[in-house]
Amino acid sequence: MTATLERFRCMACGHEFQEVVQEDEDKERTCPRCRSNSIRKLKKAAEPAE
Amino acid sequence: MGNFTVTIRKKARYVDPGLCNACAECAKVCPVVTPDEYQMGLSSRRAIYIPFPQAVPSSYVLDMEHCLGNNPVACGKCAEACEKKAISFDDRDQIVTREVGTVVVAIGAEVYDPTEMDDYGYTRFENVITSMEFERLICAGGPTEGHFVRPSDQRQPKRIGFVQCVGSRNPRMGRPWCSNICCMNTVKDTLLLADHYPDTRSVVFYQDIRAFGKSFEDMFQRSKEAGVRYVRGLPGEIHEDPRTHHLIVTVENTTSGKLERHELDMVVLSVGLQPPADLRKISSLLTLSKTSDGFFMEAHPKLRPVDAPTRGVYFAGMCESPKDIKDSVCQAGAAASRAGALLNAGKVTIEAITSRIDEAACTSCGVCVRVCPFGAIQWTKGTPAVVVEAMCAGCGSCAAQCKPGAITMRHFTDEQIVAQVRATLAQRPEEKVFVFACNWCSYAGADMAGISRMQYPASNRVVRTMCSARVSEEMVLEAFRCGAPVVLVSGCHYADCHYINANRQTVKRVQSMWAKLEKAGVRPERLQLEWISAAEGQKFAKVMRQLDELRRTVTPEEIERSRKAFKPKVRRAAAEAATAAPVPGTAT
Repeated sequence: MTATLERFRCMACGHEFQEVVQEDEDKERTCPRCRSNSIRKLKKAAEPAE
Repeated sequence: MGNFTVTIRKKARYVDPGLCNACAECAKVCPVVTPDEYQMGLSSRRAIYIPFPQAVPSSYVLDMEHCLGNNPVACGKCAEACEKKAISFDDRDQIVTREVGTVVVAIGAEVYDPTEMDDYGYTRFENVITSMEFERLICAGGPTEGHFVRPSDQRQPKRIGFVQCVGSRNPRMGRPWCSNICCMNTVKDTLLLADHYPDTRSVVFYQDIRAFGKSFEDMFQRSKEAGVRYVRGLPGEIHEDPRTHHLIVTVENTTSGKLERHELDMVVLSVGLQPPADLRKISSLLTLSKTSDGFFMEAHPKLRPVDAPTRGVYFAGMCESPKDIKDSVCQAGAAASRAGALLNAGKVTIEAITSRIDEAACTSCGVCVRVCPFGAIQWTKGTPAVVVEAMCAGCGSCAAQCKPGAITMRHFTDEQIVAQVRATLAQRPEEKVFVFACNWCSYAGADMAGISRMQYPASNRVVRTMCSARVSEEMVLEAFRCGAPVVLVSGCHYADCHYINANRQTVKRVQSMWAKLEKAGVRPERLQLEWISAAEGQKFAKVMRQLDELRRTVTPEEIERSRKAFKPKVRRAAAEAATAAPVPGTAT
C-alpha cells in the first residue's frame, strides 16, 4: 500500500494543510483549525525540473 | 436478497470421517513432524492429525502439504495402520453449489504479529512471548500440560510482565483502534498465575485498563488485591541479560512521572486484533463496506448492528469489530434471528423510493453501475442498464451521476427537487442560505437544533434529499442560477452513511464542482460541504451562523455573475418528460 503527501485547503476558513493519504484510505476529512468538512484537495505542485 | 447462489470449495480430508474412529494409530506411524499451529508452534504434530481436541467431526485429517506424497504414494504407513480403511489418497477437493436465502458473515479476525515491533525483541528474545502463546502454555491441554515454564530454560518464571496495547491504539503504526479484549484477557491471565503459582509477581504495563463489561471491574480489583502491580506507561524498549536471559524493561511510569527499571523472567506481549486478510475478498463478493479500521461496517451502528448494508447479509463476531466471546455469542444469536425473520417473512417489501432507468435515454455508459453502493444495477457493455428494484435502497447516487438524465428516482425526481429550489429562491434569494440536507442525518440534525431551541440566523432554506449523493451538479447550479449567495450540501458522517458509502460520491462531486465554479469565475467558497449527524443540532446551528456570515460577504455583482455563468442544461429525458406521460408511481 502506498502513501502520498497531499495538500488540502479548508473552504470555510482558508487554512491550507498537508496530510499523508494512504492509497485506499476512506477517511472523513476535517479542517484541523475550524473543524469544517469543506476540504478541497489541491493539485500537487509540479515536480522541479532536473 | 433471498436469492444467493453460493459456490463452496470442500477441501479434501483424505480421511473418511464416517469410518474414522480417532484411534490415533495412523499418527503413531506417521514419520512427518511439523509445528502444531493450534499450539502456536510451541509443540509439534504429525502430517495426519486432529486439528484441535474439540474438532468436529472428531476425525483425523491429512495435511497433504507436509505428507511425504500420495502420487505416487511414497510412504502410505498411515493407510496400512488404519484398521477401518478410512484413509484414501485419491480424495479430491469438491465444488458444492447451494441456493441460500441469507448469508451470515462470521469470518473472525486475525491476531497481530509483533515481529515488526523490534523494540520489544519478540524475534530476538526467547522469553518474550505473545498472549496467544501464554494461553497455550498455561492451558492443561497445551504443550506443557499446563506447567507454566519459560522457553529459554524450561523453568517456572517468578517475575512476569505484561505489555498492553501491542498493535492496538497506535495511530503511528496505522492501528488506532482498541482491540477490546486484551485488557480483560491480561487481567484473567494475572488471576490464573496468582491462582496456579501464588509465588509469582506480575506487573502490567498499560495505557488505560478498559474494564467496562459486566463483572469486569470486580475482576480487575481482584487482580489488584492478588498483588498484581499495574504500571501506567508502555515500555520504550526491552533488553535481555545474555547470561541469565532475564529481561530488562525500562518504562516511564506516567502516574509518578518517574523512570522505572524492571528485571523480569518473562514478558507477555498482549497482542491486538486486526481484520482478516480475506475480508477484502468477501467484501467485494457481497458488496459490503468497511470502517476506517478495516472491519466490516454494519447497516446502522445503533439500530441495525448485525445487518450488513446489503440486504439478506448479517454479521456475527469479530469481523464486524473486535469483541469477546459473550458479545460474539450475542451477535451470532441476533444474526440468526434476523436471518430467520427474513426467511420466514414470505414476502419482502421493497423501498418506495427506487431508481428507474429509461432504456431509450440510457447511453449504456455504465457510470451508474460504478456509483451504486448496493450493486443493484445490472449492465453489460453496449446494452442499457437495468435496476434490480429489490436491491435498490433509493440513495439516488446513480440519478445524480447520470449525465443523459436517463434515471428517475421515484418520489424524488430531478424535476421535483429543481422545482423546490426555484420556489425557495423565487423571492429575495440574496437573503438566503440554500441547504441540501440528507433525510437521515443532516435534516434530523436541523430538527434537533430546532427542538433544542438553539439560536441561529433564520436565513437558511432546507431542501431534503434521501442522501447527499442525490444532489446533482445541476441542482447546485440551479440554486446559483436562481441567485443563491451560498449553497450547502450536507449529509451523514462517513461512518453513519445510510447507503453504505454513497456520500463518498458527494465528496467527489463537490470537489469537481469547486473546480468548475472557480473556472467560471465564481468564488468556490460559496459552495460548502458539511457532515452533520442527527445528534449534532449544535453543529447545524454553528454552520448556519458561519454560512450567514459568508452570505453577507457575497456582493450583488457576484450573485449576478453566478446567475449568468452556468447555462441550464437541456436534458433529453427532461425534454421528453415535458411531453410524455408522468412516470408511474411518481407524484409531480
